[in-house]
Amino acid sequence: MSFALIFKDELRGFYKSKAMIFLWIGLPLLALLIHISSQEADMSLSILVSLLVSSIGGLLASVMLTVNIINEKDTRVYDLFLIRPLKRWHILISKFLAVYICVSLACILAIILGLMFDFYESQIAFEIILENILEPFIMSLSIIAISSAVGVLIGVISPSIVVGVLIVIFGGNYVSSIPSIIPFVLDIENPFTIVILLGVIITAVLMALSIVLFNKKEF
Amino acid sequence: MEKKIKCTKCGKIITVTGIPSETVKVTCPECSTVGKFTFEETERDVLAEKLVQIKNISKKYKDILALNNVSFDINKGEIFGYIGPNGAGKTTTIKILVGLLNKTSGRVTVKGYEMPEQKSEAHKFIGYLPQQVAFQQWRTLNHTLTTFAKLSGMPKNIIQTRIDELLKTMGLSQFKNKKINKLSGGTIQKVGIIQAVLHNPSLLILDEPLNGLDPESRYQVKQILRDLSKKGTTVFFSSHILGDVQDVATKICILDWGKVIKIGTLDELKSEFVKEKQIEIVFSKKSDKFKEIKNIDGVKNILEKTPEKVLVNIEKTASYDKIIHNIIQTLLKNNCRIRSITPTSPTLDEVYQYYLRQGGKKQ
Repeated sequence: MSFALIFKDELRGFYKSKAMIFLWIGLPLLALLIHISSQEADMSLSILVSLLVSSIGGLLASVMLTVNIINEKDTRVYDLFLIRPLKRWHILISKFLAVYICVSLACILAIILGLMFDFYESQIAFEIILENILEPFIMSLSIIAISSAVGVLIGVISPSIVVGVLIVIFGGNYVSSIPSIIPFVLDIENPFTIVILLGVIITAVLMALSIVLFNKKEF
Repeated sequence: MEKKIKCTKCGKIITVTGIPSETVKVTCPECSTVGKFTFEETERDVLAEKLVQIKNISKKYKDILALNNVSFDINKGEIFGYIGPNGAGKTTTIKILVGLLNKTSGRVTVKGYEMPEQKSEAHKFIGYLPQQVAFQQWRTLNHTLTTFAKLSGMPKNIIQTRIDELLKTMGLSQFKNKKINKLSGGTIQKVGIIQAVLHNPSLLILDEPLNGLDPESRYQVKQILRDLSKKGTTVFFSSHILGDVQDVATKICILDWGKVIKIGTLDELKSEFVKEKQIEIVFSKKSDKFKEIKNIDGVKNILEKTPEKVLVNIEKTASYDKIIHNIIQTLLKNNCRIRSITPTSPTLDEVYQYYLRQGGKKQ
């Protein structure tokens, strides 16, 4: 019951946050502006959005989580949660899921908008556009999951917001980009199954590590 | 908690929800009979007269020994004032007590539950206000309190009524739907106190609860603490404001350098400090013959503090009533006019300074 309550609250907090407003509105708008300003590049809006989503969405998710956790840790927000019958992992998992769901939904919405725009502009069959977009989209979801888990881990271990954000920007991106290099490294027929599997494994390991460290933390 | 009861008229089984010691109105859905039901305290509640037991706890931060063999008990219904200078180890003790910090050695039990091993059980009975209270900024005041009430296991049907009642008591009703980041520091502190008492905890642990509050709010909070204590809630609070501790605490513990210096009621603490009793006399007209009071039985000596004020030291065993009566008679006989005559008692501040000095000598 307490996990469901905390998760619902975190979801409510994140979807209305300024960073999420940027993703909900800013991301499709940005993609549209880039698309309009570079018509010669001959790139469909949906593909452009997918690329933007995987680069900005993942980074934003990890930065949001890191800043949020460090800030709440520093201001001692958790004290009042931890003296109630609530498991510590509830806090981390609910934050991770809330951000992951919000960012993923924002990405799906942005991609759907791109698809609709492409369909309206080029009249290419919807199925063909969808086929082209599916693989980068799966990759984006894996990257966002890993980025979010990296954000949680750094949030738990980092002593300050500045240090945390620097580690996320310069270190976190390397970890989250692991799934995106798989198709280029492995010469197999369907690398995206491995991409999904790798995304799940890395995310689970990072989250498990975060929970162990958070449980050991003294407040 | 939930309880199944039988309707006295039709025998229908009705489920009622409430908290220990609460009386709820019950209406039978079958025959509409209205009655009352009081939730009993559990056996553990009744047995646990000593609500908190702290035995020889020590806490080491690397090379620093923050707590050194601290031991004390807190009985049910007591208001336990925990005082000491900055860095004495008050907050460390409190954090160990609520399970936020792990002790290096020793034993802590809350209502018979071992801390931190059984903290999830103990937390159901604890209300806590940290020294630095903070909430998630994006929540409204009402949302914050509702979440904490739900997490504390309060029955859903009484949450909003209880929140409204406490907001009204603390004068915060107008801020109910305001976001936390729009509230002032004093208001946040009051919200902190509300979240601590919200679920009617058996043990209320408050770390510097009166910090940042205006005189009126401090009076309100002290009144709340007294009322809660009358209802059987045990209060453990630390403070730097000794006047406030003196006002409400039924037992006081002085801590210094991680060690308990002295523990007892205010009177017990004073009794060791006061070597002799004193009476202060202020004259509006003084004659030279006032010195005759020196001859009264039980008077040891007199000290002229100012031309109008005289301090009379009396034997520790002497009765104030008898001696004051004799002093008044002697002074009136000698044509002295008295403005006031008061038995003096040391303040907690004086007692505190005395014990700190004593503790310092032993170190």
